[in-house]
Amino acid sequence: MIAALHRTPPALMLVTLAIGLAACWSAGSPFGILAPIGALFLYARGYWLLSLWGGLLIALAGTVLAAMLYPGTIRDEALSLGALVAVAGCIGLLLVPDPLRRGSRLAALHRRAARQPDGLGGYADRALDGAVHPDDRPAIAQAAAYAFWTGVPQVTSYRQREPDGSYRWTELRAEPGYGVSVDVDAMVSRPCDRWTVAESLGATVAAVKAAKVIESLHGKAWAFDAMGKFTYVTPAAQVAIDMALEDLNRRLGDREFIDGGEAGWMRGVHPDDVDKAASTLRHCLKTGEPWNIEYRMLRATGHYVWHRISARPTRDDEGRITGWFGTSIDIDVYKKTEAALRAREQHLEQLIDTVPAMIWSMTEKGHPAYLNKRIMEVTGATRETIMAPDGSLSLKKMIHPNFLDLAEQTFAKSVATGAPYNIKYLQRRADGAYRWTETRAEALRDETGKIVRWYGVSVDIHDLIVTQTELHLRKQELTRLVDLVPSHIWRLTPAGEPNFFNRRFIDFLGLDESDLETSRTERYAAALNAAIHPDDAVRLWAELKHCLLTGLPFSMRYRLRRHDGVYRWMDGRAEPLRDEDGSIIQWHGLSHDIDDQLRGEEALRESERSLRQLVETLPALIYCAAPNGEPIYRSEKLREFLGFGLGDKDEDGRTRLAGTLEAIIHPDDLPDVKEKYGLSLATGSPYAMKHRLRRADGVFRWVETRTAAMRNGEGEIVQWNGISFEIEDQVRAQEALTLTQERLARAAQAASLAELSASIAHEVNQPLAAVVANSHACQRWLTLDPPNLERAQKTVERIIRDANSAAAVVGRVRALFRQTVEARSLCRLDAILHEARDLMLEEASRRRIRIEIDIEAGLPPLALDRIQIQQVLVNLIRNGLEAMEPTQHRALHIRCARTGDLLRTEVRDTGVGIDVPDKVFEPFFSTKSNGMGMGLAISRTIIESHGGRLWAENNQPSGATFVFTLPVETKADHDR
Amino acid sequence: MTADDTIVFVVDDDEALREALGELLAANGVRSALFRSAGHYIGSDKPDLPACLILDVELPDINGLDLQRQIAEGDHPPIVFITGHGDIPSSVRAIKHGAVDFLTKPFSDTALLGAIRAAIAQDRETRARRAELALLRQRYRELSPREREVLPLVVSGLLNKQAAAELGISEVTLQIHRRNVMQKLAASSLADLVRIAERLEIPIRHSRRMGGI
Repeated sequence: MIAALHRTPPALMLVTLAIGLAACWSAGSPFGILAPIGALFLYARGYWLLSLWGGLLIALAGTVLAAMLYPGTIRDEALSLGALVAVAGCIGLLLVPDPLRRGSRLAALHRRAARQPDGLGGYADRALDGAVHPDDRPAIAQAAAYAFWTGVPQVTSYRQREPDGSYRWTELRAEPGYGVSVDVDAMVSRPCDRWTVAESLGATVAAVKAAKVIESLHGKAWAFDAMGKFTYVTPAAQVAIDMALEDLNRRLGDREFIDGGEAGWMRGVHPDDVDKAASTLRHCLKTGEPWNIEYRMLRATGHYVWHRISARPTRDDEGRITGWFGTSIDIDVYKKTEAALRAREQHLEQLIDTVPAMIWSMTEKGHPAYLNKRIMEVTGATRETIMAPDGSLSLKKMIHPNFLDLAEQTFAKSVATGAPYNIKYLQRRADGAYRWTETRAEALRDETGKIVRWYGVSVDIHDLIVTQTELHLRKQELTRLVDLVPSHIWRLTPAGEPNFFNRRFIDFLGLDESDLETSRTERYAAALNAAIHPDDAVRLWAELKHCLLTGLPFSMRYRLRRHDGVYRWMDGRAEPLRDEDGSIIQWHGLSHDIDDQLRGEEALRESERSLRQLVETLPALIYCAAPNGEPIYRSEKLREFLGFGLGDKDEDGRTRLAGTLEAIIHPDDLPDVKEKYGLSLATGSPYAMKHRLRRADGVFRWVETRTAAMRNGEGEIVQWNGISFEIEDQVRAQEALTLTQERLARAAQAASLAELSASIAHEVNQPLAAVVANSHACQRWLTLDPPNLERAQKTVERIIRDANSAAAVVGRVRALFRQTVEARSLCRLDAILHEARDLMLEEASRRRIRIEIDIEAGLPPLALDRIQIQQVLVNLIRNGLEAMEPTQHRALHIRCARTGDLLRTEVRDTGVGIDVPDKVFEPFFSTKSNGMGMGLAISRTIIESHGGRLWAENNQPSGATFVFTLPVETKADHDR
Repeated sequence: MTADDTIVFVVDDDEALREALGELLAANGVRSALFRSAGHYIGSDKPDLPACLILDVELPDINGLDLQRQIAEGDHPPIVFITGHGDIPSSVRAIKHGAVDFLTKPFSDTALLGAIRAAIAQDRETRARRAELALLRQRYRELSPREREVLPLVVSGLLNKQAAAELGISEVTLQIHRRNVMQKLAASSLADLVRIAERLEIPIRHSRRMGGI
């Protein structure tokens, strides 16, 4: 209530007046009037307050005068009125605690502004209402608002109205967050304030005078003498610093101030500033130079306050310094503002330097102006390195050559047009590496829109770009992979609509990608519908629908029409892609062109079928066996021949092979077959054998069986494939043929004998003819008359010579077989034995004779005439075979073994034996009706020419053995 | 048979037999020249005398029978073959190609000498005939071209008039040519001329047209 009344003076006045009048009327005394007077005291200001006080004084004086002049009731009345006035005055004193309201108002206003930033508007209004010159009001209001909203301190000058109605320039500093105020309390005179004046001004009269002038202008001034002793200080100043003249001039050391001593005033100077202040003052005192200095002065409040101090000397007529006068101006606000600004700037700079970005600025012409610390650290550039000699920007050292032109052009364009600058480029870093950087710059313009400055930020986007590039590449690669993979890749929506085909699929279908009228899904669906073979369409859509409904993987083979109209078999598969909830997001599908493969398979099947047919219909007995020899297949012809199938002869405890062999092979051939077949199975060598095979009707037929191993890529045997030809007729024919051949051979032998005889005859006839001719000549010479004995003699000599040469012919025939030494080479006797056996095998088997060979292992090779030794062996084997013709037990054994330095070879038969073992070696001796009688003779000659011996022995109980030896160290030059 | 105006060539690779034959021939007063191969025989200078060639069938460089066939074209002495083992086909073949005899070694001296004698006699005759023919050919070469044209017409039995018409010349000119021909060929009569023409194997032509030109 009271507070409300306080805010509305007229209402308060009325209320108090009414209460007062009511009190007067009710009490019958005028004391009620005190209430409105009190109210007047509360609100009267300045002129009105003085008027009030004046009125009260006049009223008091009037009442006192009236009491003294008029005794009686008038005196009483006057006294009571006087008392009333006195009480009113006391109330006035009580209600108005600050009689000097003037001067404190502005400070109070300022303080409020600082402390109540939210009340700025109100303050401004009130300030505008009252003390501020109307012309300055918009400026100060804007400054205050700007300070509040931007946080940038504002210092504004404005004209403040004095109570007398005049205006004075005042400075306002508006800043949020902290306040700067002039401390007014210290300037207020307190009851205990003490200040003094000098007892004598001495020579400083002129200086004091000047000081007073200044004091009248500035309110604060002082004067001191040439020695620095103060003679006058404005009392208010003395109060403010709480130092009287005595205190200021007090000598604190041994020496005077001018001589370097300490004076009392120095105590009132901040310790950091005192030395400088003292020394400069001493200097000025000595030289007469004006003293200008700023230092902090200790106020009575205990605060140091910045002052700017100036002092000038006064001189007498002769120019001598008579004293100094000066003033000090409180510049605390400036100093603190400056410090605050500097701190703020530093803060800003720090901020700019610590921001993780490269910040820079350029002049309106685009010349480099500022680089923050970071940009210099990161790029290693300084303002100098990026500045061309003419001061313009040179990016050569900062930007990758590839981007230099672009950057320069962009920047030049921005500078010319004022458009924002934005570029991504490779920036060169301090370590020489280039990194992707994005630079943005904008122009700062003044009110007229003119560009004042360019501010730019460069941000390292290298990782971003690299990642983006990588992502892009990966995406590209993926796209390429999807497009290049030699299959058709597609994607369906959960509803089964195609929304992606890869490039190959599109090419396959021959889709026109340029058609943008219809949506892709529609085009794909239409293309697919058209391309699926009509015969497969129903099946395919049904299957696809089923899969879409159930979520089961799709897999199907179908025909698809290629762009050229050819239907190709495809193997299509699709699987659903599900999200976390398990619901299908889309279907991914793959179709593989299997047309060639299908055709290949079909061809393969066809070829296999025809091959099987071939095998089945071939007029041969074909079978296959496992690597261990177990039969696994028999052709139809073979089954027909044998009369049973593959598993019909299986018995417990015996292999199918053994059971089959015994069932189908002739008992006489079985050992041989088993041995050879076993050998082939063990070694993997091909098997070839002629044997008798039991036909279904029980008749044995001669067949020739050949089996070879089928090997895989590693060379392992996977199967044995065999074929048997029925050679019954062939065998019969062969036997007949062999017989004929033998006869033919004998005939040839006879023929060659005739030729040999003719040759021998020619050889013998030649010398004989000479002998005859010579004989006739001799006879002629002798029958001449006279006989030519000399010629006859000569002729006889020739006869003897020629006759001898005829005799030598026979010797030469035998020697014929000894003259082949140079044909000898190192041979293995066992190899020759096998060859000879193989040569005679046909004849032996025709005669039903087995040839058994027993050769000692490790026999050394010998120097032999291979053909001759082979002839010997063939000769001996044939002799043996022929000797056994009439006997029953038929086997020819050949043994070869080493005994000492000799290799002994025996050919043993079970024939009829020999009557006279030595005689058989004589030429033309033969026990056989069709024999020539030369074979054994020549054989012996051959063996002896090899340094060996050949002889014959009879066996017990029957048969003969022909033995020949060959020396291990056979010399090549035997003469026998 | 004298040793001086005849010669026997012996070709045999067996030196002993070659010497023995030389000795035997010498003992019988027959001059001989010995060669060890057909090549030596063909390559040597041989005296131009009635001769005989004793040829071994089995020669180192060529079979004697083949040699016989090779030299059959030219003038060569009659051949007497000798062989170590004679067979019937060889001997037949040799005789058919003009061999005088085919002797099997060893052979008797009378057989050999008889064969040589017969061969030389044959050669004498051959040589005489060959010498006469050479003379005739020499004479024929001396005829002028026109005379060579006249000769076949005359010996064909054409009248002078016919022959002159045939050649498109006068009868008188023909007669001059005819006389020259007879003179140059030393023909004593027309019959003689016909015989000479026959020896020279001049074809008989009755007319140009019939000559089948």
